[in-house]
Amino acid sequence: MGRGGSTSSSSSLESSNYPALTSRSSSLYQQNRDLSTDLRLGLSISTSQQGNPSIPSESDWPPIKPILKKALAAEENECDSATFFVKVYMEGIPIGRKLDLLAHDGYHDLIRTLNHMFNTSILWAEMDGDEHSEQNHVLTYEDKEGDWLIVGDVPWEMFLSSVRRLKITRADI
Amino acid sequence: MLRMASSFPEEVLEHVFSFIYDDKDRNAISMVCKSWYEIERWCRRRIFVGNCYAVSPPMVIRRFPEVRSVELKGKPHFADFNLVPEGWGGYVYPWIAAMATAYPWLEEIRLKRMVVTDEALELIAKSFKNFKVLVLSSCEGFSTDGLAAIAANCRNLKELDLRESEVDDLSGHWLSHFPDSYTSLVSLNISCLGSEVSFSALERLVGRCPNLRTLRLNRAVPLDRLANILCRAPQLVELGTGTYSAELQPDVFSSLAGAFSGCKELRSLSGFWDAVPGYLPAIYPICPSLTSLNLSYATIQSTDLTKLVSQCQSLQRLWVLDYIEDIGLEALAAFCKDLRELRVFPSEPFAQEPNVSLTEQGLVSVSEGCPKLHSVLYFCRQMTNDALATIARNRPNMTRFRLCIIEPRAPDYITLQPLDDGFGAIVEHCKDLQRLSMAGLLTDRVFEHIGNHAKKLEMLSVAFAGDSDLGLHHVLSGCENLRKLEIRDCPFGDKALLVNAAKLETMRSLWMSSCSVSFGACKLLGQKIPRLNVEVMDERGPPGSRPESCPVEKLYIYRTVAGPRFDMPGFVWTMDEDSALRLS
Repeated sequence: MGRGGSTSSSSSLESSNYPALTSRSSSLYQQNRDLSTDLRLGLSISTSQQGNPSIPSESDWPPIKPILKKALAAEENECDSATFFVKVYMEGIPIGRKLDLLAHDGYHDLIRTLNHMFNTSILWAEMDGDEHSEQNHVLTYEDKEGDWLIVGDVPWEMFLSSVRRLKITRADI
Repeated sequence: MLRMASSFPEEVLEHVFSFIYDDKDRNAISMVCKSWYEIERWCRRRIFVGNCYAVSPPMVIRRFPEVRSVELKGKPHFADFNLVPEGWGGYVYPWIAAMATAYPWLEEIRLKRMVVTDEALELIAKSFKNFKVLVLSSCEGFSTDGLAAIAANCRNLKELDLRESEVDDLSGHWLSHFPDSYTSLVSLNISCLGSEVSFSALERLVGRCPNLRTLRLNRAVPLDRLANILCRAPQLVELGTGTYSAELQPDVFSSLAGAFSGCKELRSLSGFWDAVPGYLPAIYPICPSLTSLNLSYATIQSTDLTKLVSQCQSLQRLWVLDYIEDIGLEALAAFCKDLRELRVFPSEPFAQEPNVSLTEQGLVSVSEGCPKLHSVLYFCRQMTNDALATIARNRPNMTRFRLCIIEPRAPDYITLQPLDDGFGAIVEHCKDLQRLSMAGLLTDRVFEHIGNHAKKLEMLSVAFAGDSDLGLHHVLSGCENLRKLEIRDCPFGDKALLVNAAKLETMRSLWMSSCSVSFGACKLLGQKIPRLNVEVMDERGPPGSRPESCPVEKLYIYRTVAGPRFDMPGFVWTMDEDSALRLS
């Protein structure tokens, strides 16, 4: 997108149009100041092309150094890629499964996955009264102190910091 | 006058000159008369070359035969933002090779934005017996093998600073190359390295160097090892932590807090990758004496940031992410009355919508509350002319003002006007302004203000601004002290450049990319002004294969006494008398 063709007055790039280029530069610096009036007159005739304002790419805008970009991206990725796998056993089945707790938003999400994984419907602490009769299994967990508790009584984050493994036991207790 | 000058014996003059360190003063001395020039050149010990292509190694060596300290800068500043393609240049090897024979007593090498190879590092390691200081700022091209050579051979090394360089990180083993007998380390900055160094080697190194005052660790050093390192160096003045994140454990916390309390001289902190709020209180005891705090990698939120800065009453420099928000900056303004420099970086630079409540108000608060504030770098998403004018009136002592609004060409968000008047107020009130970066919607008027008022301005950065060549003309004809001008994505063409061609010889360099300067104008400039290198960068192919009126992609013009360079890659052409004839 050249501008050269569209300018009116001094469009030819001859050095004679630009005194600064025809003799010793240092002494001409003063003379350049006097040209500013001519320049203003000449330039006010030709208008600029604002038709295509450029949109910058993410590789060079905004102007932050690559080392900071990398650090910010790494911090984001760490949040995405952290995992916390725990063992899950179903009573009566000797071979267990493993499940990434951090891939779930909370208890509801976890129960949904387990229901699907073990092809059953699982009871946990926060379920409504009338659903109880439908459940075949109960979800329990072993905490850091070795005690077995029903899943769902404590906030999700607290559960994540204390759970060691999960067990799905039969509901006919 | 001349008689007086030559009546002093040389030894006396040399002794007097030895008290003069500043380059400008030294240059002035050398211009008094021929004999002073001669005496001065033999006793100049430190040289600074702002553009490594402005002069050649043999020229420097011929004039200054007894140099002990060299500082060189290579690529243009916009290389920091990926605007200079790979392979452009800035190779340091020719300098090292020439200095290896000419300056066997060289002690210090400081490089910025240069390509440094392992060969160059190995040559440094074996050529300079009294080598003391190596600073590689934003450099690239070398690996940890080169560092191993430095560590193994430089017996008198005091400073090894790799700030922000891109290193080919083969392994952390290089650190173990410092021999057991090596004890002279004063400053070590490895914060840019990715791989793990041997922690026991690091601890032993720190433990046996009693003069260590600066230690900037890399992210791979875990938090639970920090206390041990600190206990071995309680005399530290500047510390960069590694990862500042771990499971909250009382014993780890208490040994860390204890270690920090033991460092009574600590004045500067940095690092803090992945910082967790739970471990921040470990540094509270030393906060009141901190003068410099770099939290650019700390993703902690505004409540914790506010609590932290409120305790740092001696703070002079703060670098932080925009998580600090306006509320944190208000606390900064209230508690940190000695603040001189503030940099606020964007936590989510590519998000369209703001993720934090950081606006123009935060900067206004700091400008009101901190009377010594003179250096600002601020990334935000909105600005007004009023806010800029308030900042200007509050802080006429501002010397460096760099604003970046994430959205290019963003107007005053309240009046929807360009930000011309706001920046006009900045240059009008801040008479000592040396460096300016502008942002937002700007017309030719802002350049008129700059040309009229910014008489002390030395460096100007412009992006997505202006309407016509008049804008560029105002700057080139009005800013008497302009040394560096960098422009991207502005509608500036041939006229202003050609009319002000003589000005270019008084500046260090001019960068223009994605503007409208034609190939023909570049050829003309290159032909007519011999002491300028006019370099055209175009990855589309030779500029001669397109019409003369076609604008070039990138243009880098710099003054030089060394003539055109010969180490250019295929996408860079120098416009001079010979090449212009060859290309047309």
